[in-house]
Amino acid sequence: MSEIKIVFTGSMGAGKTTAIAAISEIPVISTDVRATDADVLQRKETTTVAMDYGELTLEDGQKLRLYGTPGQQRFEYMWKILARGALGLVILIDNSGSDPIGELVRYIDNFREFINETSAVIGISHMDTNPEPDLQSYYSYLQERGIELPVLPVDARSSDSVVMLIQALLAMLEFG
Amino acid sequence: MLAPAIVKQVEVRLDKLLEMCSAVDAVVVATLDGHLCAMKQREKSYSLERLATMGSTLMSLGDTITAELAMGTCDNIISENRNGVVAFMHINDDLVLVSLTTSKNSLGMLLGYSRSCAQDVAKMV
Repeated sequence: MSEIKIVFTGSMGAGKTTAIAAISEIPVISTDVRATDADVLQRKETTTVAMDYGELTLEDGQKLRLYGTPGQQRFEYMWKILARGALGLVILIDNSGSDPIGELVRYIDNFREFINETSAVIGISHMDTNPEPDLQSYYSYLQERGIELPVLPVDARSSDSVVMLIQALLAMLEFG
Repeated sequence: MLAPAIVKQVEVRLDKLLEMCSAVDAVVVATLDGHLCAMKQREKSYSLERLATMGSTLMSLGDTITAELAMGTCDNIISENRNGVVAFMHINDDLVLVSLTTSKNSLGMLLGYSRSCAQDVAKMV
């Protein structure tokens, strides 16, 4: 049985912890603490300061080890630690944020080397309540930078929705 | 975050820690989500803002590990290194104290004086 490490990263409030909890077959190991930042508190009460961890076994027996990074820039040192040995990256962007495409730029830039070596998929959350920017805007940005990655809307609370992202990532890893 | 008047009180207590224990080279009080509240160091040798954030990460991991093992709350995390010791400890549910020494043989003093300082700070906030 093979094991694959996948890292969920992305903007604060995009649903990284929620997405891992939605698909994990073990109780998620979480390091959420009470938030003190005013901008965080407007959206949620807690924030991840170290990592999340969950596991998912696929139908073919492959075990996915799911790691979530903190979303806030000051914990950027954890992004590199958690990316070590990972085979793929799920970038979640909160479409209700003030600058979702700017957030995507930040994560693409931070993980550029990792993405070049492995692969990534981009999930856009909260599109139901905040349809702009639309998916085409994200694709246009990626195209301008010569990046080819799938961009999918995601409901981080929905197991099916998160599994679809994972399947897209695995397909990217398998077929490029 | 702490009110400015409280921060001043905390800084006075951190100064006292450095006065009372010559082995302590720097000390930081941070929120558990990684914001620096107060700091003191003998020389400007360290980036204490980053230490505050990393202290919150480590303390939270400690809490998660001890919860997983049903060992109660995590009191201290000690990092013993080639060139010194770093101690991380809870002040209360929301604040963390991080202290460090470059003297390898001062772990006991670092822990003792830092714990006393953390208890005093807990009474102030």
